[in-house]
Amino acid sequence: MPDLLTVTGATRRFGGVYALRDVDLDVRAGETHAVIGPNGAGKSTLFKLIGGQLIATAGTIGYDGRRIDRLAPHRRARRGIAIAFQDSPVFHNLSVTENVMVGAHAVTRAGPVAAILRLPRHRRDEVTIRALAADALARTGLTEWADRPAAALPLGQQRALQVARALCGGPRLLLLDEPASGLRGPERTALATLIEQLRADGLSILLVEHDVAFVARLADRVTVLDLGRVIAHGTFAEIREDPAVITAYLGGPR
Amino acid sequence: MKWAYLGVPVVAAVPLLLTPGQLTTFVLLGLSAMTVVGLSLLMGYAGQVSLGQASFTAIGAYTSGLLALHHTPPLLALAAAPIAAGLAAVVVGVPILRLRGHQLAFATLALQLILLSVLGDADWAGGAVGLQGLPYLSIGGFELDDDMDYAYVVLVGVLLVSLIAYHLVHSRVGRGLRALATGEAAAEASGVPVGAYRLLVFAVSAAFAGLAGGIYSFFLGYLAPGSFPVLLSIEYVVMAVVGGLGSVGGALLGAALVTVVVQLLTTLATQPGMPSYAPSVLSYAVYALLLIAVVLFVPRGIVPSLRKSP
Repeated sequence: MPDLLTVTGATRRFGGVYALRDVDLDVRAGETHAVIGPNGAGKSTLFKLIGGQLIATAGTIGYDGRRIDRLAPHRRARRGIAIAFQDSPVFHNLSVTENVMVGAHAVTRAGPVAAILRLPRHRRDEVTIRALAADALARTGLTEWADRPAAALPLGQQRALQVARALCGGPRLLLLDEPASGLRGPERTALATLIEQLRADGLSILLVEHDVAFVARLADRVTVLDLGRVIAHGTFAEIREDPAVITAYLGGPR
Repeated sequence: MKWAYLGVPVVAAVPLLLTPGQLTTFVLLGLSAMTVVGLSLLMGYAGQVSLGQASFTAIGAYTSGLLALHHTPPLLALAAAPIAAGLAAVVVGVPILRLRGHQLAFATLALQLILLSVLGDADWAGGAVGLQGLPYLSIGGFELDDDMDYAYVVLVGVLLVSLIAYHLVHSRVGRGLRALATGEAAAEASGVPVGAYRLLVFAVSAAFAGLAGGIYSFFLGYLAPGSFPVLLSIEYVVMAVVGGLGSVGGALLGAALVTVVVQLLTTLATQPGMPSYAPSVLSYAVYALLLIAVVLFVPRGIVPSLRKSP
């Protein structure tokens, strides 16, 4: 399968400290790829480089055959990269449906003039956006919550809502930042089922995750980071046996 | 929103019931309301405070005034006011909107001080004396020469900016704006061009202020830098906060409430026996007290607090 996302030699330095050093990573079309590693391994930094929230000190990021490492985040979204953040919650001043509708920004264009004058373009886009949102809500099992304020959702549904918002932009690559953190057992299982369903629908997924069991269930391939470097990559079964990974996770002489 | 249309005929009847003095207050109130609708958008959706919003009122007023004095048809001169103010906002907005929080507030304040000092020294703008002998606004040969006419011009203006604001907020762009007000990174990752939207709201808010300034210039017939003090900008901020940010109804209510309260106190302060500094002390004190009371008791502003949360 061809690579959808190719990260080559990604390096990010904060002052004299390397958060990420010479990291290579590729996500193939249709696969679920997990990035794991202990705290401070550079997972979040890598994630932000791909999403555009941070710019790499060195290295390139290719997506769908073109370099994207200098694009602003909203332009990457238009190319088909969608993100569900861990640390930025839902838009709490919007309803569940409106939250999801924001995600359709990436695939619609009606601007301020169309909105102010209520031009046909505005109406057409609104119809499209509503349909996309209804579809994304159905895929994530949130239809019955549609008209609630987003802030009123339980944490598990808030995570699903973030995924729904990401799906509403019709992405090809979905970035999930620790989607399972803070979730209880049943919520965690529901989320895993959702991610499996998205994979079956053909979406490529890059998952940054702390929970190893979650990764074992979902990931086709795993990249392990420690102290900003890739220390192993392969299937879950392969990296589980890797001595470097065992040392990084269990501690010991480095 | 639908019920709001019912308010239009009621408010439209108000000027008929007012004394001439009250009519002047009504016009000034309406002009403030136009500016505050824009400022409320800016503060509520772009999360930015402007302490120099009156500079855009001034730009609009001087644009209309100068064009009208140079024999431009008044209606055209009026139309140029929001355009000039909006363009000015785009030009200064590109560097200024990179600033955050208090920095932007101070930058806009500085902008106004600079503008006032430039206008005060500029011969082409009449210097400290300002522009005088501006013609009346005329529409299709019909000259608008009394306060009652301007009351209705202002009503149309308020309706226009309210409708624009409402349409903008309830649209794809508006959802993006509301999203970026709570989660900038998440909004941007969803495809919302955060910087462009901030600039848009800044320009729209400036255009509203500019239109108000344009009407003001025809209404009063003269302009001077002293007509646009920094206190006016502060007054707009207080109105927006009192009414509730990001709410068209709140902006209108805030403008009305503050104008009426200040008017009552000014009347009180100019009673015989009051010291000469009473009017300014009372107006400053009222802004401060209103702001403190609202922040303490209805931090979201009056109108949003009346509604249930979304």
